[in-house]
Formats: sequence, C-alpha cells, structure tokens
Amino acid sequence: MYATTYHKPMSLSEAIELFEGSEDASYLSGGHTLIPTLKSRLAAPQHLIDVRNIPELASSIEVTANKVIIGSATRHHIVASSKEIQAVVPALSGLAGSIGDVQVRHMGTIGGSTANNDPAADYPSAVLSLDATVHTDRREIPAEEYFQGLYTTALEPGEILVRIEFNIPEIAGYAKFRNPASRYSMAAAFVSKHRDGHIRVAITGAGNEGVFRWTEAEERLTESLTAEALEGLTIDPSRMMGDMHAPTDYRAHLVAVMTRRAVQNLGGTHIL
Amino acid sequence: MNSPLKTAAPGAIVHPLKQPKSASAELSPEMKLVQEALFKHVGKPIPRKEDGRLITGKGRFSDDFSLPGQTYAAIVRSPYPHARINGVDKTEALASEGVLLVLTGEDILADGIKDVPHNPVPSTNFDMKLRAKDGSHAFTGPHFLLPADKARHVGEAVAIVVAETAAQAADGAEKVMVDWEELPFVTDTAKAAAPGAPTIWDEVPDNVFIDTTFGDIEGTNRAFEAADHVVKGDFHIHRVTGVTMEPRASLGSYDPETKRYTLYAGSGGAVRQKNELSKVLGIEPKDLRVLSFDVGGNFGTRNRVYVEFGLVLWASRKIGRPVKFTATRSESFLTDYQGRDLVVKAELALNKDGKFLALRSDNLSNVGGRAVSLSPLSKGSGLITGSYDIPFAVLRARAVFSNTMCTQAYRSSGRPEVTFVIERMCELAADQLGFDKLELRRMNLVPPSSMPYTNAVGSVYDSGEYEKNMDRALEISEWNMFDARKAEAATRGKILGRGFANYVESSIGTPKERAEIEIKEDGNIEVIIGTQPSGQGHETSFAQVVADMIQVPVEKVWIVIGDTDIVSVGGGSHSGRSMRHAGTVMAMASADLLAEGRKRAAELFGSTPDQIEFEGAVFKLKNSNQTIDIFELGRRTRASHGKLRVIRDNEMHTPVFPNGAAVCEVEVDRDTGHVQIVRYTTIDDVGRCINPLIVHGQTHGGIAQGVGQAMWELCAIDPNSGQPLAGSLMDYGMPRSDTMPTFNCEIAEVFSPTNPLGIKAGGEGGTTPALATVVNAVVDALSEFGVKDIQMPVTPATVWRAMNNGRKAS
Ligand SMILES: Cc1cc2nc3c(=O)[nH]c(=O)nc-3n(C[C@H](O)[C@H](O)[C@H](O)COP(=O)(O)OP(=O)(O)OC[C@H]3O[C@@H](n4cnc5c(N)ncnc54)[C@H](O)[C@@H]3O)c2cc1C
Repeated sequence: MYATTYHKPMSLSEAIELFEGSEDASYLSGGHTLIPTLKSRLAAPQHLIDVRNIPELASSIEVTANKVIIGSATRHHIVASSKEIQAVVPALSGLAGSIGDVQVRHMGTIGGSTANNDPAADYPSAVLSLDATVHTDRREIPAEEYFQGLYTTALEPGEILVRIEFNIPEIAGYAKFRNPASRYSMAAAFVSKHRDGHIRVAITGAGNEGVFRWTEAEERLTESLTAEALEGLTIDPSRMMGDMHAPTDYRAHLVAVMTRRAVQNLGGTHIL
Repeated sequence: MNSPLKTAAPGAIVHPLKQPKSASAELSPEMKLVQEALFKHVGKPIPRKEDGRLITGKGRFSDDFSLPGQTYAAIVRSPYPHARINGVDKTEALASEGVLLVLTGEDILADGIKDVPHNPVPSTNFDMKLRAKDGSHAFTGPHFLLPADKARHVGEAVAIVVAETAAQAADGAEKVMVDWEELPFVTDTAKAAAPGAPTIWDEVPDNVFIDTTFGDIEGTNRAFEAADHVVKGDFHIHRVTGVTMEPRASLGSYDPETKRYTLYAGSGGAVRQKNELSKVLGIEPKDLRVLSFDVGGNFGTRNRVYVEFGLVLWASRKIGRPVKFTATRSESFLTDYQGRDLVVKAELALNKDGKFLALRSDNLSNVGGRAVSLSPLSKGSGLITGSYDIPFAVLRARAVFSNTMCTQAYRSSGRPEVTFVIERMCELAADQLGFDKLELRRMNLVPPSSMPYTNAVGSVYDSGEYEKNMDRALEISEWNMFDARKAEAATRGKILGRGFANYVESSIGTPKERAEIEIKEDGNIEVIIGTQPSGQGHETSFAQVVADMIQVPVEKVWIVIGDTDIVSVGGGSHSGRSMRHAGTVMAMASADLLAEGRKRAAELFGSTPDQIEFEGAVFKLKNSNQTIDIFELGRRTRASHGKLRVIRDNEMHTPVFPNGAAVCEVEVDRDTGHVQIVRYTTIDDVGRCINPLIVHGQTHGGIAQGVGQAMWELCAIDPNSGQPLAGSLMDYGMPRSDTMPTFNCEIAEVFSPTNPLGIKAGGEGGTTPALATVVNAVVDALSEFGVKDIQMPVTPATVWRAMNNGRKAS
C-alpha cells in the first residue's frame, strides 16, 4: 500500500468539497474491493474519503408499496437478513446472502458494489433486472443508462451514489454459478416479472461488457414464464468473457442454464 | 531375481527385515517396562494441548516477533520467466525516503556469500539413487540468495531493499532499476525436456539433469513380449502450491559483540536451517541460533531454506540492526516452494486372466529453475508398482529444469503422483480388457504372506494387509448399495460416480533424532526434541507418549522444540517421520531414564537395581514398603548424581510403508459439469496409532489437500508470456469446508516390525490415494458420455468439455 490520507466527512457537501479539493482522491465505502487493490499497489489514491458516515448514505432499508429503497452504505449482510426484503423480493436478499463470505458480507456495501460495477459482481444484475433507479448527490439515473461496460458507470468524477430504489416485482429469481476459486459469479441470471407484466433478464459474471439484459430470453419468457420456453435458446460466445476458469463457449452455455434455473427458482435463489 | 537396484553399489544394502534376527535385538528390562506402559495407554483420543493457546491468539508465529531497532526488507523480483541481469542501478532506491540498504547478486559474490547447500539428491540407504545420464553426480544448479547472472523464473529475488518501515522498503524496491535482457523461456514440463528447448543452465544444455533407469530391463522386456495385453497411459500430475495460512516470514539479527546471528523463522525444522544457513554465511553452526515456534502450515513448502532467511541475516550484519521480512500472499503464490509436476508415460503388461506381468514407467519431474529437492521423484520411484505384485518393472526417472519456481516435497511427496498412475492404469486396464475393476485389483494385490515384500524396483514393504483394507473400505462405503443412490441422484439431474483406489506409501525421512528428557525439580518433565510441528499436535501426542512411559499425568510433560540453542540435533518434520523417529527415541530415552532412576533408587535403599520396581512414577524396593517417586528421587539425588536427565540419540534408516484404501462418490451436475463430493471413505494402516483423534484430524486435512489438487488447485502459467496466472486466491481454487463431505475414516493398525513401537505414519495417507480416487469417480460418472480419462484439476469447465466431446463423439 502506498501512503494515503484518510478522511471521514460527515455530510455530502463536505465529501464533495474534499473530493474536488484534492488532486487524486477516491471514495471509500466497505473497502472490500478498494483496500485489496491498494494493498497490492494497483491503485494509489492520495486521499481516501470514507462515505459511510454521511447521513443520506447511511445503512437503511425502506420498503414502500412499490419500492425497496436501500442506502448506499448498507452492508450485504443487512440486506441478506432483512425480513422486509425477504417478504417482497427474496431473490434480492438471497443474492446479497450469496456474496463472498461472512467477513465480506459484513463489510462490503451495495453502493460500493454498484459503483464499482465489477463484471462478476452480483448486485448489478438485480439493479438492472428490477429496473432500479440509482440516486446520486446530483441526479437520478435509470439502471439501463447506469451500467456502461466493465468497471464503468454513468457516475461522473466525484459523483456520489446515495441510494438505490428497486421496483418490487411480481416475482423474481436469481441463479448463479460460482467461480470455483474466487466464488464470484462465473455466470448468473436475475429474472424478474414486473407488476405490469414485463420481463427483465439480467446476466452478470459472463458478458465481456459487464452486466447486460438478455433480450432474446426476455422475449421467450414474455410468451411463457417457464424454463421450457427457453429450450434451444443460446447466446453468442463472442459476447462472453473467457479465462482459465471458463472459456467463452462454456460461459455462454452457463448463461443459458442459469437463466433456466432462475426461472425454475422464481421466488428464491439457486446457487451452485 | 537380479538386484533391481542396478545403479546402486552392488550388495551394499541388506535390508534389515531381510536379515536374520540378531541377539542384540533383545529388549532391556527398562525398554520392556516402557513398552508395556506405553501399549497399555496409547490410542487414547486426548484433545490437543496446544489448541487453547492457538485459538486465543497466543501462538508465536515468525511475524509475531519483533526486536528493538528493527528494520524491514522488501524484495525486488524478476518480472520475467528468463532474463539476463545486465546491471542493477540502486541510486534512486537508495535516495528513497527511509531506505538504508540495497543488495544485489553482485554484492553476494563480493561478500563471498555461498549458495544454499540444498543437497537435493536423497541419500539414505533406501532412497532410489538418482544420477545424471552418464551415471555421474548430477549438476543441480547453485542457489545463491540473489543471482548475479540471470533470473530463471518469474518472482525470483534479485535484490533486497532494507528501510525503516515496510512501506518505505516496498517503495524503495520499486525504484531499483534492473537492466533486463529477456531470454527465450520454457515452463511446460514435457517441452522443457524436448529437443531444442531454451537452456536454463549452460552446464546442462538439454535441461535434463537426472536420467536414471531402474529395474530389470531384460526381464521386463521378456514379460512384455509374453503378455496377452498391454495397456498404455499418459498422465500429468500438475503443479500445485501449499497455500499455508501463515506466509513465510523471517527476522534476522546480528550481534557484533558475540559475532552471533539469530534468526526467527518458522520452518519444517530449525536444525536444518541452522546448518545450511551457517554454510551460506560462511560461519560455524554454533554462531547461528534459529528459533522456530508455531508454524502456520508447512506441507513441505517450508522444509528447505528460503533465500529471504539468509538475506535478513546478511543484511542485519551489514546495517547493524535487525531486519524483518514477511511475504505477502502474492509473494507466497509466486515463490513458496511448489509441489508435484510430474509427467508420466506408463505401460502395463497383463496376461489373459488379468494378472499383472510387468510395468514400464517414464517419469519426468519438473524441478523449476534449480533443484531444491528431488524427493518427489525419488519417493515416487520406489513405489511405481503400488499395492500390486508386479514381478518386473522398469522405471526411467528424469528431472528437468524449467523457468518456473522450484518444486519441493509437498504433502506426501511423490507418492500421490505414482499412486495416481498405477490406480488410473488399473481402471484403464479393466475398462479396455473387460475386467471388473475391483477384481482386477484384488487378484494382483500383494498378499500378507509375502511380507516383507520386495517390489520390482527394490523397495521392501514392511507389513500390511492390503486386501483386508480394500474389503473394509468397500464395506463401510456401502459400495454395494451404489445403484440405489445413483438412481436417486438421477431424479435430481445428477450423475453419481464412484471411485476406488488402493495405496501404499513409504516414509523414510532424515534418519537421526535426539531426545533429551529431564525430571525437573518443580514436578514437571521436560522433553527436548528436534521435530517441528506445524499443526500436527506434537505437544500433545509426544507428551502423551512420554507421560505414558514414565507413568505421570500428561499435563506434567512439556515438549520443547524449535530453538537451536536448546535443540541441537533434529531431523525436522517431513515424510511422516516425526512420530516414528521421535516416538522411538523418546521410548529409548525413557528407558534410559528409568534405568538411571532404578540405579539411584537402589543406592538410596541400599539394594541393587534388579530389586527395584517401577509403577505409577514410583520406584519401590521389592518385598518392602520403601518407595520414592521419580520427582522426589530427582531432588534427593541431585547433589550427589546431578540432574535426573538423559540424552539419547537414535538413527533409523529402515523405511515403513503405510497403506490403505479410499472410496469417493461424486455427483456431477448434468447441465453444468459442477462436481460435488458426496461421500468419502478411507482405511489407513498407520501402524501403531498413538492418538486417533490427532491421526483422524491429520487424515481429514490430508484428504482435503489431495481432493483440492484433483478438483481445483493449479499453478497455471500462461504459455505465451510465462506469467503465472493463479497469483492470488481469486484464481487459485482451494478446498473449502462446504465443498468437503463428512469423512468416514477408519484406522487399521498393522504394527511395523521396523521400530520398537510399531509405528508407520499418519496423515499423508489421506492425500496419497485422493487424486486417483476423485478422478476415478469423475470418470465413472462420465462413462455414459464415453469419457475414459480426464486431466486434473477436474474443474467444471473441464468436466463440461469432456461431456461435450463425449456427446459429439457418440
Ligand atoms: C474475498 C472477497 C470475495 C468477494 N466476493 C464477492 C462476490 O461473490 N460477489 C460480489 O458481488 N462481490 C464480491 N466481493 C466484493 C464485495 O462485495 C465488495 O465489498 C463490493 O464489491 C464493493 O463494496 P465496498 O463497499 O467494499 O466498496 P469499496 O471497496 O469501498 O469501493 C469500491 C469502489 O466504489 C467506489 N465507491 C464506493 N462507494 C461509493 C459511493 N457511495 N459513491 C461513489 N463511489 C463509491 C470506491 O471509490 C471504489 O472505487 C468480494 C470481495 C472480497 C474481498
């Protein structure tokens, strides 16, 4: 780790002022992506601005008639164990409970994960599939516009992710195949049927541009929300990431299998 | 039959088990007492004494030690697999804040620092004798703390930077400018030995520095000619690494007044570190003290000297302050000594009834950039025929340099590799020739009536009941009820597969061990021993042995290890040697202690030693009520006779052959290729078992380690760049508690005739058959796709590919 200065702002304006006043700053939330990166000397921000004490971001879960609203600094285990979320979108709490291990879930946050947009992270699939809205210190960004490729989002430099508002679906399911080493998703599908009837299929862990909607699967499932409706549907391997754990053709295959399994497990999760 | 040890001095070795019993083997009365006491008590599952200390953070690991005025070291490592060092510019690093010292390979030569005397060729009487192609002693590649000529693998240390803080040292290390000249490289085992491969050492242009053929060539040729069937197989038992929980660390200090060095460094045995590092520094062994207390995992990776251990000592003399180095996890992945990496071509000759007639095996071991240990190749060489009676065998054993990290003995060194080969060959033979795979094995097993049994490459198996192990493993694994379980799994979209393997392994290890036992005035017993635990529970099982023999509560016995100022001789812990060597020498020392006690008691009572009885730690004069307990005796006779204390040395060369069988059941997810182990059963003949609780724990860990290699672990290297791809836990897959089933383990005790306690060895038996058992199970599950063999690790992608190729082929 290189030398860096730690800041603990208590308000949004203070955080933004700090960011704008320094040459090379980075926001810090649960630190479970950023700190390992610093420790392996792959990043060297001169200032770390801890956002977890800002009241607007604070750990919070609010469930209204149509929405689940989660504060950016809410840790994965809080989402996983939330009775309110379990009651309305069990696939979402189940997804949070499938992230990393106990330590990771007690430190990592939804905001950090969504801001980071790791192509193998879990949350981006829920954000996209549940037509969520990302609220920042300055605007609201619909999920469709928010994710812009590997580790890339619509957030501008210095923009702070404050909270995420998910639509409560009629039903949703999450299926994930984990990387045997890292246990991040190697291919995962979040399938939602919204209250107005439209279907969203979001795939994470697999695409070479990060999380994406699999529209062909959405069309099939709009006809019939069954695994059988997906029979024979494949995805082009050239859209997939390939690595030592899963070449592109295997990932493409897993995407199809996980999408079927998400449908077979609507109202819950299926983790392999 | 001709002596198969063709390259050994003819007639030089007569195996002790093959010699007529000598009269001197008679036991002394004290030794009898000790044995009786011991055999009455051992086998108790005493919980581990050390656990309370370890789980409450009171362990003393290397990095826990700090010294006043301590500085920190960082290492500059090669980013290339093979590159010449045309120069090193230290200027910028030396100007960096807090940096005190920068040293390179040039400084090593200038200071006369020697290479590490790894002595890689195993040399006990019963090790296979590995030589260069022309029969000469092999060139093994000098291991200087820092090379001056070139780097031979990614991560090789080329400079050390010492600074006031660890961060400043790391900053400084980035500013050391090395003028690199990249060279052609080779990392793959088979390619490194192929004609035209880039040369790693000019002394060995073709990289193959060991090439020895063992066995009866003519006999084997004749057997192959007469055979009805020949089955062939190609295998690569791939490279893995130890992933110890505690990264290696060292703290060195030099005292200019006494001219003595002190090293805190967890290892597999402090005495070896002391002896070899003193040679590196060019000093007398007495001028180096090595302390090694708690060690957070070894598995062989820590048995040999690491360059950083020598570097902190040398640097501390240079700057006159202590120097500490603690490896990061990335450095551990790159530069911990690694394991396995053996390529094998095998041929098995059978007659029409399935009787094995002969075996040919060509084993090629990848040692990395230089040879640190040939133990894996050598250990495996003696066991190529496995648990089977194969009358003729020829083994060509070769070792090759490559541009990779060095390999070393790793959990059950060499034996899982050859067990994998022979057990896969059994499956291939059964499949190709239409035999039942269990019956084929059964008909070829070495029977108990042949013990001690000399195999076709000259290893003498001491004892064992192999078929009984096999029967018991099948029984407790409910092998016969498999079909019902398979049908049930199918209803869930899973394909159930089952795998079986027999194994026999050898345990030799450094032959010398010393025990010192002292009856302390405070009512405790202190035992000094030169083995080094890294989780095996010696503080409990060793204390248990001594407590039983001297007949005192185990709480009173304290095991002292890991400080070379106290422990002067000691072979360390490897090759399953500790309990056998330490147990035996502790028994001998206990007998000596009782003999001395009887002598002193006799004097006190005005009698002769043969009139003194001993029970419950009390000496008693026969037919009288005169008694004295051992602690009181120590106190009362101290002034006249000195401390009640004995030192005993022992040397044992004869290897033992632990053996057993394992059964594994896996569920393969038909759609994804995901593999889950659902059942795992083992029988392990460990000889006499001192503490079954500890042996089971060691076996469980051993299984996980073997299963880990079979299913996930792989030191992958990008063939195009030579860069390691699995440099962190993000890419190096490890076994986890939720990917392991509940183990069903049983211990079989067939006492070894080679040592007074009848001990063989435990723990490594968990690992030895695991690779074969898992792969046999996965291949069995995939048989419906026409799969006959599969390369480890059997990751989901590999399994899916195999199913797919099978589907296409059919
Ligand atoms: C061992 C391990 C296993 C893991 N396994 C998984 C897994 O299976 N699935 C998974 O999805 N994740 C996994 N993770 C990642 C984990 O969920 C991370 O915690 C998460 O991705 C990042 O959240 P964080 O709060 O830790 O963010 P940090 O690490 O603090 O920050 C991440 C990035 O987001 C930025 N950032 C943080 N907060 C904000 C904000 N409010 N506004 C703007 N930018 C912000 C930071 O500047 C930084 O660039 C794992 C992590 C580890 C260490």
